[in-house]
Amino acid sequence: MVSIQAFLALAVILFLMGVLGVISRRNVFTVFMSIELMLNAGNLAFISLSRFWHGMDGHVMAIIIMAVAAAEAALALAVVILMYRNKGSLDIDFFRVLRG
Amino acid sequence: MELLSLVLFLGFAGLAVAGAAGLILFRHPLNSALSFIVTLIALAGLYAMLSASLLFAVQIIVYAGAIMSLIVFIIMFLNVRDADLPAEPTRWYFLIGGAVVLTPVGAFLLKVVRQLPGADMSVPLPEGFGGIHAVGQLLFIKWVFPFEIVSVLLVVALLGAVMLAKRKV
Repeated sequence: MVSIQAFLALAVILFLMGVLGVISRRNVFTVFMSIELMLNAGNLAFISLSRFWHGMDGHVMAIIIMAVAAAEAALALAVVILMYRNKGSLDIDFFRVLRG
Repeated sequence: MELLSLVLFLGFAGLAVAGAAGLILFRHPLNSALSFIVTLIALAGLYAMLSASLLFAVQIIVYAGAIMSLIVFIIMFLNVRDADLPAEPTRWYFLIGGAVVLTPVGAFLLKVVRQLPGADMSVPLPEGFGGIHAVGQLLFIKWVFPFEIVSVLLVVALLGAVMLAKRKV
């Protein structure tokens, strides 16, 4: 069997690639999907550790994270649609008008 | 058996990393989204290898199915053309600089991961581990309060999305 460390190492790599996507891209969709990639890396770590401890709390946590990701997708995409209608741009820099 | 699981893991991990690389490298968001779906399905395979059979189905149905189809639908709905995309002249500098900054972080985290005690994977799992019955019982008994909070969060998010995106009457 493949050890748990390999799964956790993959989770670390995917999380760092998500961070890289957030800091290097300016397209709002790509930044958004990079955040989803980070959430997925967290899910993978939860499920690997769940397998490690022989308990299923990590699975429940992963389901809750998926629900939060769905809520985030619905809200963030609504904001993107509004922004694109009003400003006609997908540049993440335009989103600074949301600052309070 | 040993070899098969190793081959499966390497295949899924390679697909996941390749999809993530496509996500952060493609210029058009539609290409990025389709590449990200590859990552999500490869992750579903990894969940199956970790005997999380419910999460395997939920990952494919909810994540790769519902959330990503919402994102792809919005990208197509906005009809994004190449001219609408923000110019990213500094993209490669940030990519290389970010990789340089994140490499020590990654090396540190990988070192931490390597020092974890190895699980004895040959110990048999409890009956029904990761199935819908066991996870559902845990979710509705021990985790019932977070579950209700998440349901309220979903309702609020959907109402907010409708309020934001509808045209002014």
